[in-house]
Amino acid sequence: MSLLAVLNQRQSIAYQATLLGGFTLLAAALLVIGDLTTRDTIALRKAEDLKASLSQVLPPALHDNNLLADPLTLPDADGAPVLVYRARRGLEVTGVAYRVSGPGYSGTIELILGVDPQGRVLGARVLSHTETPGLGDKIELAKDDWILAFDGLSLGDPPPERCAVKKDGGDFDQFSGATITPRAVVGALKRGLEFFQRHQVALTAPAAVSVASDPVRSPE
Amino acid sequence: MSLEPNTANKTAWGRISRDGLWSNNVVLAQSLALCPLLAVTGTATNGLGMGLATTAVLIASGFLIALIRGWVTPEVRIPIFVLVIAVLVTLVDLGMNAWLHDLHKMLGLFIPLIVTNCAILGRAESFASRNGAGASAFDGLMMGLGFTLALVLLGAVREIIGSGTLFANASLLLGEGMAFLEMTLIPDYRGFLLAILPPGGFIALGFILAGKRLIDTRLAEARQRRESTAGAGALAGS
Amino acid sequence: MRLETPAAQCGPFAHDLVSIPRTMGLVMLALAPATLFGLWQFGWPAIWLFLATLAGALLAEILSLWLAGKPIRPDLSDGTALLTGWLLAMTLPPWAPWWIGVVGALLAIVVAKQVFGGVGQNLFNPAMVARVALLIAFPLEMTSFVAPTPLFSAEAPGLVESLAITFGGQGFDAFSGATVLGQVRTELGQGETLATILPDLYTPLSGAVGTVAGSLGETSALLLLLGGLFLLYKRVITWHIPVALLGTIAVLATLMHLIDPEHYAGPLYHLVSGATLLGAFFIATDPVTSPVSARGQLLFGAGCGLLIYVIRTWAGYPEGVAFAVLLMNACAPLIDHYVKPRIYGRDRRGRPLEYANDAETPR
Repeated sequence: MSLLAVLNQRQSIAYQATLLGGFTLLAAALLVIGDLTTRDTIALRKAEDLKASLSQVLPPALHDNNLLADPLTLPDADGAPVLVYRARRGLEVTGVAYRVSGPGYSGTIELILGVDPQGRVLGARVLSHTETPGLGDKIELAKDDWILAFDGLSLGDPPPERCAVKKDGGDFDQFSGATITPRAVVGALKRGLEFFQRHQVALTAPAAVSVASDPVRSPE
Repeated sequence: MSLEPNTANKTAWGRISRDGLWSNNVVLAQSLALCPLLAVTGTATNGLGMGLATTAVLIASGFLIALIRGWVTPEVRIPIFVLVIAVLVTLVDLGMNAWLHDLHKMLGLFIPLIVTNCAILGRAESFASRNGAGASAFDGLMMGLGFTLALVLLGAVREIIGSGTLFANASLLLGEGMAFLEMTLIPDYRGFLLAILPPGGFIALGFILAGKRLIDTRLAEARQRRESTAGAGALAGS
Repeated sequence: MRLETPAAQCGPFAHDLVSIPRTMGLVMLALAPATLFGLWQFGWPAIWLFLATLAGALLAEILSLWLAGKPIRPDLSDGTALLTGWLLAMTLPPWAPWWIGVVGALLAIVVAKQVFGGVGQNLFNPAMVARVALLIAFPLEMTSFVAPTPLFSAEAPGLVESLAITFGGQGFDAFSGATVLGQVRTELGQGETLATILPDLYTPLSGAVGTVAGSLGETSALLLLLGGLFLLYKRVITWHIPVALLGTIAVLATLMHLIDPEHYAGPLYHLVSGATLLGAFFIATDPVTSPVSARGQLLFGAGCGLLIYVIRTWAGYPEGVAFAVLLMNACAPLIDHYVKPRIYGRDRRGRPLEYANDAETPR
């Protein structure tokens, strides 16, 4: 029996296998084309997202470099790697930004924290959270300007024992009805500043060579 | 009202439209695709975005499946249909990620989940595998528009009750030109969180389904009355 | 839905003077002492909220009966809507704004009761559906409690001032106070131990009498117990659900307290705090949403008790009576399916009983 005859018998396993295989190949080809067409644009969008959240805590006036270029990886208190983005003017580091997180009421709260070379908070923003809408979501800048209260503070200011929400005897307001959420944010930012203190030398070392690169190729 | 293959095409197109938009609506009549429905309809804009993405997949899958239906044997049709749908959904996902990035961030996980929307495989099975490519694409369009209608309706109800706005962030989806759609219906509204959360979606959907039943009953009653009066008139005239 | 109508089509139907209006009247009578205590303790704002909730429930009932084209008078006068509104008001923070009560009453009557077909058709307890929906929708308002300021006492808000609180949306931060359950959960979360938290906050006596912050009608354990015993005496409810519910909580609390007294409070704390007694006698015993058979009711009550303890101790909310009752409401049809009462003249499997004299007849 010739191959064609086999394929003409539509009930045969060979016909059906060929059919399935053919469609799978076709599907794979289409997906490859789709991926190639959109890959660069998607990477660009993601870089823009990251840049947008970085520029919230690292004001554009502070730097003339590409924020996404050559990030630094340093271990946090538990040894987990933290990706640090540096803002430079010339070769001088004018600010660093990295993610910090804390356990909230119903999940982890992810923040991005910007710190200047002296260890003062340039800004902090919530990147993602799953707190109760209407209660705990006042940590978002879109809902409340509570998070701005941290600007300009550092590890010694307020003194460590006052670095807590008011209910725990500290300086920061909690929201009516929610204590755990602001407590988590305060704790996360405090740990973030301690991280800065631990690595201050490495973080603020001036760059040896200014690296220029295009945003598309930089790691996320 | 049967669809005979050789009657005027007009009836067929009309019937397909009526089926998709109202009488056999994916959500309101078939109660399919409830997962994406309830998950994304916190706002009317999200509902519209999800509905249009699903419509694109429905049109393309109807068209392609009707084209290949001659070659596909019944034994392997399901894997092949699923493959076609999965490819289309992945392409839509990639495309939206690249060119409608903000909306993609909002709809997030639910774009890839279009592949599990049983309405798509359902249309492939019950319509596209038995009809021509043009009719199948049209059926996909109408079914998709019907689905979009239900999504936008539910999204609008939930958005108005839940946050007092309508079509918030519409400019992210439709471009700056459509920013006039973004309305704040109730200024200084405190928000009714329940409506935005999934249980509120179920409750609102229940009321919308009841509303459709009510309209259908009223229409049927009106038609009956009209027919009986027409009959009585004919009798009186004779 | 009145049972005294001679509706018997066939078979021997037993008739009694039991009717829905009479039952509802007895339940309201039993609720009255605890309610009056709550209204006195929390003053005018609580009275306004109570009235707004009752009015909302009645209006919602009239509205849905009118929409459904049902006769309004008989269904309205049976008192079920009034009782639903009453029970809901008992579980609200006493100084909540009026619209909390009205929205809750709408949810209870329209979404939880009339949509299912009205009296006797609902799957879930309407008051608890409304309470949970309100808690999820308005977390801030539903967790803003006040310390007791009895009516006519010096610090209590006057008539006009209280109108501003209930209807004008005026804040009352100066009066705010956390419930015992809420405060204990917060401080345990901070690593405190019960030995340091409880003495400042609560004594078994204050919890039993009810002079603590809490929901409008839930604070006074003794008066609720009194009402519950009255209902038992009048045979409006049977002992099965309350005993199983309270017993399960007491046993679990005792066990956990013995294991780790620093982090798990004793049984008395759980029995007199929050909505335990209101739930045990007035809410879980709702005949529509609980199982029929005695064994089923024991199971139902024990399930409620277990869930209440688990939610209070380990879940995200400090109080769990409403969630527990709703979850067990959902199980009630299943319990009824598996735990059927024995049919007269047959054993539990439905086979005819064999009588003692069968032994004498040869087989």
